[in-house]
Amino acid sequence: MQLSSKMLLYNLLAKGLILLVFLMLGPFFLKYFAVKNTDNRLIEKREEVLEIIRKQGLDNFFAEEDYSSGFGSYNILKEEYILLERISEPFLVDTIYNEDRIIEEESVTYRVCSFVFSFEEEYFLLEIGRSLETIKDIEKIMFRILYITFFIFLVLTFFLDSAFGKWLVRPFKQIVENKLLHIREPQQFQYSRVDTSTDEFRLLDESLSDMMKRIQKAFNQEREFISHASHELKTPLSILQSKVEGFFNQDDLSQDQMEKLMDMQSTVQKMKKMVNSLLLISKVNNAQFLKTDTIDLGGLLLELCEEWKSMADERNIELVLPKNEPYQFSATNESLCTMMIQNALVNALKYTPDGGKISILGEKTAKGYQIRVVDNGNGISREMMDQIKEGTVFLKDASKDKSGFGLQLIYKIGLFLNVGVQIDTNPKGTSLIFDFIN
Amino acid sequence: MRILLVEDEKKLADEISSYLKTEGYLSDYSPTFASASENIAINPYDFILLDLGLPDGDGLDLIDEIKENQDHAIIIILTARSEISDRVGGLEKGADDYLPKPFSLLELKARMQAIVRRKSGWNKEEISIGSFMLDLGNKTVSHSGNPISLTKKEFNVLHFLLIHKNRVINRYQLAEHLWGDHIEDDYQSNFIDVHIKNIRKKLGEYAKVDWLETIRGIGYKIQA
Repeated sequence: MQLSSKMLLYNLLAKGLILLVFLMLGPFFLKYFAVKNTDNRLIEKREEVLEIIRKQGLDNFFAEEDYSSGFGSYNILKEEYILLERISEPFLVDTIYNEDRIIEEESVTYRVCSFVFSFEEEYFLLEIGRSLETIKDIEKIMFRILYITFFIFLVLTFFLDSAFGKWLVRPFKQIVENKLLHIREPQQFQYSRVDTSTDEFRLLDESLSDMMKRIQKAFNQEREFISHASHELKTPLSILQSKVEGFFNQDDLSQDQMEKLMDMQSTVQKMKKMVNSLLLISKVNNAQFLKTDTIDLGGLLLELCEEWKSMADERNIELVLPKNEPYQFSATNESLCTMMIQNALVNALKYTPDGGKISILGEKTAKGYQIRVVDNGNGISREMMDQIKEGTVFLKDASKDKSGFGLQLIYKIGLFLNVGVQIDTNPKGTSLIFDFIN
Repeated sequence: MRILLVEDEKKLADEISSYLKTEGYLSDYSPTFASASENIAINPYDFILLDLGLPDGDGLDLIDEIKENQDHAIIIILTARSEISDRVGGLEKGADDYLPKPFSLLELKARMQAIVRRKSGWNKEEISIGSFMLDLGNKTVSHSGNPISLTKKEFNVLHFLLIHKNRVINRYQLAEHLWGDHIEDDYQSNFIDVHIKNIRKKLGEYAKVDWLETIRGIGYKIQA
């Protein structure tokens, strides 16, 4: 799961949970404070009534000191009432409670403040009530408002968090995509800083650049060593080759001497090829080739097939070119591209048994062009494939007691020319697939 | 033809000089920039084989002097350097070809001949062998006016053998001429046999090709 999705999910859950708790507890708090407020109001009213009685007596409530009938009064909307009646037995009451009353065939819940007091040696019960229906109505309205707010808040927070999360991790994505995912060789690394105000991402960016500088340095040292060693070997090899060729030029050589010279020539040739291939890998790694050519890949396949057909015929190998659609591949290096495809074809010829079949297909794809060199040889061993995947330069073919770097050359050239190289192999054959993306 | 060989490695210079001598060329040898500069100022040369890494200077700088003193001279750069900038720089300054070390002396001769032909405008040059005619300009072979269909590689093999006629050319030399050095083992040298077989078959339909000899286990030779 993506970091931004995780953050979004966490935010939604955390905020949702907090809001849910708030929604659940909200009504209780609301009711508690509303009732507490009502109680305070009732007590204030009670004190006001008692103050009136103290100052003015009970005349405002009872006519001609007739206490037997009691006094009761509701306001117009029946929201409040006051009740005053004499009690014969004195008992101590000072409480507030809820009570349902039937008024005009309608049950109304009141918060009632009940209080017993004495006045002129008589005891009176004073009840002041306030309807709780208003509180219930407010409760319902508040509930609705809270639910709607909760929903709107979650929706808004989802979109805002989603946008913010994406904006926040955008530098991270840029670092991963531009500096890690698409970097297959140190020289491809971009040292330009990713635009971010987040310290952690800036630190990550700088750390990666520092690390890549160290890798690049080690890589350059290795490459320079290969390059210098190859150059240093070239002059003595030239001398050796010239001397062998000089001997070959002599007219009075016996067959035996010629065969010995041939062995020497073979050794010199192998050394030359090794040095040149090492240097080639070094130069390809160092991007020391121009990529200014445009080649017709279909035409190249046709040319290579014609060139190598006689070799295939010699070993009864069926070399076919069922498809070679024309395609112009630009900004490339013709000799390297030819070398890459030719090496694939020569490899197929080497490992396909006599009487086998090699197919070469070149066709347009949605992204560009694909070339497949398919043979029905014994396939490439797992050990060899492991070496290829690990990027071993000198591939060791234990079954043939040989080592070489033909396949690595194909890979390195493919990398330099931005051509995808893929090997599918099994005991029934091998497919080398080249994806050219223009 | 007179050749100036500019090469600081004496052993290699000796081998090249010796080869050039057997090929009938007159050659002078300069192991340093100063010596080469002096030779260029005094003697006229047809060819200058120029090493770039000289102890007292960069061979590339000699090209300016060569162009100034003897504009007609053909310059072939021989060097262990293989950076593209060296190659482009040398050719841009006026060198005619670039042969990276280690090179075959036979390849050197083939390149020299090709440049001479190109510079002389001999695009119609034809070479005969037996009753066959090689048209080097069109890269075709014919017999009594009848064109014979050879592949590009087959033509190159035949031409290379003809350049070095009466000499044994081994399979490695032929393979190097055809494919360079970048197919890593000697497998392709066996392909030379197939090309020779095809050449014999195609030409054999018109006339005997007994001038093309096989030297068992070694290579081939055109005896003319």
